[in-house]
Amino acid sequence: MEPRKVEPFVWEIPVGAVPGMRVPGIVYASDALIRKAIDDRAIEQVATVATLPGIVGASYAMPDIHWGYGFPIGGVAATDPEAGGVISPGGVGFDIACGVRLIRTELEWEREVRPRVGRLVQALDRHIPRGVGTKGRMRLSRGEAEKVLLEGVRFPLSRGVGTERDAEFCEDHGVLEDALPSEVSDRAIQRGAPQLGSLGAGNHFLEVQVVEEIFDDRAAGAMGLFVGQVCVMLHTGSRGMGHQVCTDHVKVMDRLMPTLGIEVPDRQLACVPVAHEAAQRYLGAMRAAANFARANRHVLTDGVREAFGDAFGRSPRELGVEVVYDVAHNLAKLEPYEVDGRRRVLCVHRKGATRAFGPGHPELPDAYRPIGQPVLIPGSMGTASYVLVGTETSAGRAFASTCHGAGRAMSRTRAKKLKTGHQVRQELEARGITLAAAHWGLLAEEAPYAYKDVSEVVDVCEGAGLSRKVARLRPVGVVKG
Amino acid sequence: MSAGYEILEHTADVGIRARGGSLAEALEAAARGLAELLGGAREGPGERRVLHLSAADPGALAVDLLNELLFLHETEGAGFGRIRVRPTGPSAAEVEVELVPLAGEPEGVGVKAATYHQLGVEERPDGSVELRVFLDV
Repeated sequence: MEPRKVEPFVWEIPVGAVPGMRVPGIVYASDALIRKAIDDRAIEQVATVATLPGIVGASYAMPDIHWGYGFPIGGVAATDPEAGGVISPGGVGFDIACGVRLIRTELEWEREVRPRVGRLVQALDRHIPRGVGTKGRMRLSRGEAEKVLLEGVRFPLSRGVGTERDAEFCEDHGVLEDALPSEVSDRAIQRGAPQLGSLGAGNHFLEVQVVEEIFDDRAAGAMGLFVGQVCVMLHTGSRGMGHQVCTDHVKVMDRLMPTLGIEVPDRQLACVPVAHEAAQRYLGAMRAAANFARANRHVLTDGVREAFGDAFGRSPRELGVEVVYDVAHNLAKLEPYEVDGRRRVLCVHRKGATRAFGPGHPELPDAYRPIGQPVLIPGSMGTASYVLVGTETSAGRAFASTCHGAGRAMSRTRAKKLKTGHQVRQELEARGITLAAAHWGLLAEEAPYAYKDVSEVVDVCEGAGLSRKVARLRPVGVVKG
Repeated sequence: MSAGYEILEHTADVGIRARGGSLAEALEAAARGLAELLGGAREGPGERRVLHLSAADPGALAVDLLNELLFLHETEGAGFGRIRVRPTGPSAAEVEVELVPLAGEPEGVGVKAATYHQLGVEERPDGSVELRVFLDV
């Protein structure tokens, strides 16, 4: 399947490329990135998503697209509930509301942190629980877990963890309305309740980063970013809570589809109309799991503050440890857009894609309304990460969506064949990056060479009008799940 | 495929192709494949646990089995010894699994869930069965 280039950075997969497509596929990519997407069959997944009932506009893919399960990673699909549009839990993924949080400090790298970076990474190693099934910083009873599902970051705030400012600078202020903890199974609560405030494993990480370059002074100023500043980037999600919510509801929809006359080319695209009771149950459970994910990153932020306090012998307040923003890249939301001259509320699935509202959007914190929504893009381990903002053109390009990372370029098996975890560790340390890992053996799976070039990905996002670059950060300390 | 299963490559995730003389044997092989991926394959003896599974079709049964094992692995910190699958219907089974406590964090990959993506069940004329299941890592 060969997409057709229709304008710079924009490739089209015409209706008919696979049977049943209702809209075209649109992939935002450079010539090199589109070739990678074709080679790993992600393009076929863009086309199959275009078969979903009620899909509007196009099946979109961001420049970091790669092969996923059902949806491609980097996929965006908006459906119109009033036209039979569906919700597909696979279009959100198992790690519901997996996302990125950027935390800034007042500390300057060369003068203040470089001499103590070993001590800082050791402190983070102690304060940030991670690994598979790991117990988190805040272990919850069943009743407390239900409160987190309903209240998001408000629950840890009620226990004195974090600040009101942290909530203000989190997407949805850290709480999605209309969550339904009653639709989250006992099994999901059993998995998730011990894990609040834990990083997890796989591609989840915490990095100590230094702001290396500012591209947009005004936006960087609004976010409190300056060159040479030390920040922390967190990437994690809803842990076992979200994994089980997705497992439970995909199973329900897989069984329901034949009774509703819905057929999909891949069973992981299982879906039902948004208006259906099963969809409402899923959406309620998904929002609850999203609240858990926000609370998870909020509680981990407390661990970051404690680690900085330990390493520098000063209070986190004195060190200026503050949240810049927190945004998910695996979520479905009901958002209003003007389509064909009519305002419609659409169900926007973002699977490995980040919401990118432009300036003036009412959902943004006051401080960011003039500049647009911050978008946080982690690179691969050891390479640059970026801060972007949504632009005036974002909404019209792909329902206010942009990339979510570098995007994998090779399988974990192949990555491990190329180098051992020990070799990857040595190479990163030779570049001045201090590391702590739950499992050194698994480090090679997440090695920089297993990912695409994040700078090329964000350049395409800017070139295509999806988002605009604000700052580039480089890692100096990596804490891996 | 001497162990009855092989690990399939995927850009971000990972898959298992499992074979057996019957669906039950293929399910057992898939379960062993998952245990290896999790770093949780152990010699028994362990605590015997019996699972009763019933699904819409044999493919969904494979997904259910792997998700049950993931749940036990994560919530009980368990690895897996002997796994026996006894069919109780065309897409139903009684599964006997030995849970072996894991000392510390397993050295395997973190698996979030078994998926329906490209789920495959192929029954051969000789009665043997091949399963294909992808996992979200």
